Amino acid sequence: VRILVINSGSSSVKYKFFVTPENKSLAEGQVERIGLSGSLLHHKRADGDRVRVGVEVTDHAQAIDAVIAVLISPNHGVITDKSEIDAVGHRIAHGGESLTESVLVTPEVRNKIENCIELAPLHNPHNLRGIDACAELLPGVPQVAVFDTAFHHTIPRHAYIYALPYVLYRRYGLRRYGFHGTSHCYVAGRAAEMMGEDLENLKVITCHLGNGSSMAAIKNGRSVDTSMGFTPLEGLVMGTRCGDIDPATVLYVMGKERLTISEANAMLNKHSGLAGISGISSDMREIEDEALAGNERAGLALDIFSYRIRKYIGAYAAAMGGVDAIVFTGGIGVNSPIVRRKSLEGLDYLGAKLEDSVNDESMGRDVDLTAPNSRVRILAILTNEELVIALDTDRIVGSLKKPEGDLNV
Amino acid sequence: MIGQGIAEVAASSGIEVVLSDLEKGRLEAGLTGIEASLDSSIERWRITAGEKRAILSRIKTVVGIDEAEECEFAIGAVPEKIKLKMDLFRQFEEAFSPETVFVTTTSTLSITRIAGETARPEKVVGMHFLHPVPKRNVVEVVRALKTSDETLASAVELATEMKKQVVEVYEYPGFVTTRVIIPFINEAAYALMEGVATIEGIDTAMKLGFGFPVGPLELADSIGLDEVIQRMEGMFHELGDFKYRPCPLLRKMVRDQKLGRKTGEGFYKYPDAGEGKP
Repeated sequence: VRILVINSGSSSVKYKFFVTPENKSLAEGQVERIGLSGSLLHHKRADGDRVRVGVEVTDHAQAIDAVIAVLISPNHGVITDKSEIDAVGHRIAHGGESLTESVLVTPEVRNKIENCIELAPLHNPHNLRGIDACAELLPGVPQVAVFDTAFHHTIPRHAYIYALPYVLYRRYGLRRYGFHGTSHCYVAGRAAEMMGEDLENLKVITCHLGNGSSMAAIKNGRSVDTSMGFTPLEGLVMGTRCGDIDPATVLYVMGKERLTISEANAMLNKHSGLAGISGISSDMREIEDEALAGNERAGLALDIFSYRIRKYIGAYAAAMGGVDAIVFTGGIGVNSPIVRRKSLEGLDYLGAKLEDSVNDESMGRDVDLTAPNSRVRILAILTNEELVIALDTDRIVGSLKKPEGDLNV
Repeated sequence: MIGQGIAEVAASSGIEVVLSDLEKGRLEAGLTGIEASLDSSIERWRITAGEKRAILSRIKTVVGIDEAEECEFAIGAVPEKIKLKMDLFRQFEEAFSPETVFVTTTSTLSITRIAGETARPEKVVGMHFLHPVPKRNVVEVVRALKTSDETLASAVELATEMKKQVVEVYEYPGFVTTRVIIPFINEAAYALMEGVATIEGIDTAMKLGFGFPVGPLELADSIGLDEVIQRMEGMFHELGDFKYRPCPLLRKMVRDQKLGRKTGEGFYKYPDAGEGKP
């Protein structure tokens, strides 16, 4: 089965084209600057062939049309006709409380995704444009929606309800949802595989550390808590987002500086985190370089970032009654030995000990970083959210095509 | 000033803008003003330095309007004098393609009269932005006598894209905003002149009494007392009603060059170059 995985953003469409059951990616790429001048398509085939072309695209439909065109192009393509695309899997930011697992897109599901726009106003509208564009360009091809929030639907009530007036939960759906679900799900599964264990029997803490960062407590294969909340602002320190703070600080600053809601929102989301603390950069590589060169605020940013992760590891170990594996993923998670080391500092009491020599040399690959005398396994794993989307799509589309036997039930 | 604000907001909303003026110096001043406004937005955490660069990259400046023919909209934001507006629209007619929608930002003048200068009155519409444009989230979209539904819809769409709430109004002197606020200020000036209360007293009563963010006299200072009088007179001439007679106190203050914030003194004093708090 050939599956096109689509991630539609505000001005970009990322794609990856898979074939199952080999689970191999044949090609991937993205269209940038949709609706702006100088739109670009980057395309990379599995054999290394690369192409970068200027395209004229004013909307998502034209962008996806360009993607299909390059997939069937004789020079750079991987198929000969668009009828060879058997299914499309979409990454959808928010499924709310009603969409708790990957589903076939039907008019009803589309409506539900639309209803979640209020919860994810920056993402869901663009995700929907991707769905509508594919429906138009690939009529009859089944589409599957995979939600960033879905993996966390198993989180128990005591972990997702905020201690605010309960009526706000009823009125606005104000609760913890969590994000990066497909990533946490994938790396937890891969960790179990690397450990030669069944995920059903494990307590895993996953740390997805990238531009946005979140952690999850995964007990017996189910997410039981996660650090992002109602929005992706809660939890860890991120490139430009503050993560956990005293909510009263926001009200205080708004009063003192007479900030509007949108200014306060931008302050917390775009001017805080590593960039806000250091005053230098939101990029962890630059923060590390500056910290090593003796810049005090960069060092502070690195300390706060790592300390927050360590605190959550302790919290999640407590939440699950123990921990068998700690997994690092995301750009920072797989590429920053310093962050991994600092985050795990002093966790010997928990039975988690990093093998420093391996840690210091391991970047950008799946690797076991556990010291010989450590009870807890420590792993760095490259995430593969697109593969999860492709596999879910494959499973759901596969169940559609079951022989009549099923229909007679 | 309004043109600069419109350019800033449009570019901030992702729209490509050509900013044009007849004088190079004024054009540069406009761009500098936009940069300064964006810098203060960064300081207020509203936008990031990267977003500022992106916004500025969307603004192209040209002296004159000859190079601007491919625009979907041509927005004329010259001072509030009927002759200036009419001259500008005659130039628009020569410079732009027949598809371009002409927009005038007038708050008191007859758009139908301005549209009469062109051969496309159905493609002329009013968009009354309020100053400062980045902070005033409403636009009065004005239908003149011959404005087509299509043109009106495109203006509403443009305003919405600029994240402004639209109020549709029919052509009538002062529309809603000017029509209601200017006599309100004028009445406050009468109350002061007649000794009903102090400046602070009048403003406090209106602010706390009705939830206005600023009182009428402080508001007059930020609009400029000369502008207040000019708009009052505009309505007086158009409507001929005695109730639009400008308050003599306002005239006296304008003769004294107490124009408000911009001259450092109006009802209140603004010690640091007209930017301080009252």
